[in-house]
Amino acid sequence: MELIIGGSFQGKRDFALRKFPDRVFADAGTADLEALTKAEGILYFEKAVRRLMEAGEDPMRFTEELIADSPDAVIVSTEIGYGIVPLDAFEREYREAVGRACTRLASFSSCVTRVVCGMGMEIKHR
Amino acid sequence: MNILVTGGSGSGKSAYAEDLVMGLSGSNRIYIATMLPAGEEGLRRIARHHSLREGKGFVTVERYTDTGGLAGKEIQKEEHPAVLLECMSNLTANEIFSENGAGPSDAFEKIKADILRLSEETEHLVIVTNEVFSDGVLYEEETVRYQKILGEINCFLGQFCDVVIEVVYGIPVILKGGDRLENTVEQL
Repeated sequence: MELIIGGSFQGKRDFALRKFPDRVFADAGTADLEALTKAEGILYFEKAVRRLMEAGEDPMRFTEELIADSPDAVIVSTEIGYGIVPLDAFEREYREAVGRACTRLASFSSCVTRVVCGMGMEIKHR
Repeated sequence: MNILVTGGSGSGKSAYAEDLVMGLSGSNRIYIATMLPAGEEGLRRIARHHSLREGKGFVTVERYTDTGGLAGKEIQKEEHPAVLLECMSNLTANEIFSENGAGPSDAFEKIKADILRLSEETEHLVIVTNEVFSDGVLYEEETVRYQKILGEINCFLGQFCDVVIEVVYGIPVILKGGDRLENTVEQL
């Protein structure tokens, strides 16, 4: 598994498509969540976390299923944990859940790249 | 040695900092808990951190302000303690906003003095702080002042500490002192 992270509008998606031109990437904001654990590539992973939480489901369970079903997937996710703790309880929980899920994906991944200004920096490589 | 561990929300920085302290010399591990226990969610967070630390041999000291007051008392140089202070974002809020705090004008100098004092009495001091500066949201004045003070404290700590590590989803990104870290820590 590979994980590509970074802030909004940093060129994560372009970076992923350049590095993996032959992959089909599913948009986690609109894709069928049931099928998403079997995707070979996922964009906006954080949106899957939000949609699952809105549906009352556990994003960690989804994350484990994703690892089990698609151990070679490329996951792209927006880093969202670098701000003031949100006042809204759901937003607080969402932010934390994205962090925990991505920490799990990062520990499973053989390569983690952080994209800033369109440039990828490998922070983990095995 | 003084080590700063920073990161965003849910980044795994606490777990990393705890494991870091486990790898440092000294069996006398002290955890300074700075989070005021309030509300159901707060208690849940504290309970989660408790279970994270379980079995790691920490003595927990709750201290919401005036951490320097522990120096020479609960924390003594002769015992060569490895101290984990968690976390600076709570401590700063407490010093600024709480009744027993130093207040917004003095919070920075107070915390700086406390850290210097603690550092004198510890074998190793590991401080966990938080990145709360990059969401691009314009907050009200009180929150901006909090961000500014915590930012100043983080900059001071970055200079003061021998090692600075940003934890990104559980991955340590070394910002300063990687060689010193390798020489001091047994296992990472």
